[in-house]
Amino acid sequence: MEFSWPWEYDFPPFFTLQPNLDTQKKQLEAWRKLVIDYCHHNKIFVLDVQESIPLFQNKTIDRQLSSEGIKRVLEILQENNQIEWCDKSKKQCFVYWKTPQEWGNLIYCYIIDKGMTNTVCTFYELTEGDDVKNEEFAGLDKSMLLKALETLEASKKAEVIMFGGSEGVKFF
Amino acid sequence: MRKRPGIGAIHKQRVEQERFRGKATELQDNVFEQMTNQMEKFRTNLETFASKHRNEIKKNPAFRKQFQEMCSSIGVDPLASSKGFWSELLGVGDFYYEIAVQVIEVCMATSQRNGGLITLGELRHKLIKARGKAQHHQNISNDDIIRAIKKLKVLGSGFSIISLKDTQDSSDVLIRSIPGELNADHTEVLKIAEAQAFTSIETMKCKLKWDDVRCQQIINELIRDGVAWVDEQSTAKTYWFPSFFKPLINEG
Repeated sequence: MEFSWPWEYDFPPFFTLQPNLDTQKKQLEAWRKLVIDYCHHNKIFVLDVQESIPLFQNKTIDRQLSSEGIKRVLEILQENNQIEWCDKSKKQCFVYWKTPQEWGNLIYCYIIDKGMTNTVCTFYELTEGDDVKNEEFAGLDKSMLLKALETLEASKKAEVIMFGGSEGVKFF
Repeated sequence: MRKRPGIGAIHKQRVEQERFRGKATELQDNVFEQMTNQMEKFRTNLETFASKHRNEIKKNPAFRKQFQEMCSSIGVDPLASSKGFWSELLGVGDFYYEIAVQVIEVCMATSQRNGGLITLGELRHKLIKARGKAQHHQNISNDDIIRAIKKLKVLGSGFSIISLKDTQDSSDVLIRSIPGELNADHTEVLKIAEAQAFTSIETMKCKLKWDDVRCQQIINELIRDGVAWVDEQSTAKTYWFPSFFKPLINEG
């Protein structure tokens, strides 16, 4: 299904950081929502700032958000705990259109549903296997999966282990 | 030799005067009573007329408007009636009160985007959409909406109606739902920006014959009010108005 762009995306001033602070607030909020919705729709778990430029431009109306503008948008996302920088260089970030907690819960519910507690699954099975094709966490980025499993470990619902050379997880 | 008027005469005069004064008062009372009776008669006739043509008034906005105008011309305002004239007539909760509440809802929902400035056309479009789901769906006209808003104005709610032209063409009337000063200069700019949803200093200078300073000041005030946004990526800076931006108006 085609991503449905909000009205702001076709509005030329949306790509100029607004001088009126109240209007700017509304503008940044709209950008924040757009980034999250876009990543959710396209199942983007990690955003590369350089490569994300297409998201911050609209060729049809020949407008592009400046790097200062993009910086402000990412700041807002971080303030809302919706992105997390992968490292200090701030070149890439995790996008939490679902938080690691939410991912963990989704996976755990699936495991309970399938009666798979006390068995071991590989990471591959969990994200790429045929069985999980229709699950929301299908295709989940490995780093995101690890974060999700860490939240489950914290509540003693899972344990990450190595076996036979692959990484896996046991659920309780 | 004639006798000069004595106390008796003066007294008599005074009594006569009293009688006249009393008569005048009596006359005044009389006229007043007649007037009151006439008014009552008018009102009763109006109500009879209204009941008789109840369906027409309910369904037909043009007829409803004519009825309203007839009422105002004889000094009767059904909207001001405390007896719930309209609720009795139309059999639903106060018709205009209902519209007024819905107008407030639409304006609140959209003011984030358009800075509290909405065209009458968009307002009516959204009102009809919202009302369509309700059980009692009457066709509402621009006139109905304006009357409802005027009712709100009387309550001092910060609503104002801005005409861009002398017609009641829905695209030429704006409703302002945030209290604020939109003066004649602001309205002039809105008029020229309406068609394309944007304008520029050059266009303002050319069409309004203002100097740079005045143009910049007025546009800055519109920006400050959240009604205009700035686009710095056009050849010359342009100023855009979400209130007139078609994709936003046609959305949802």
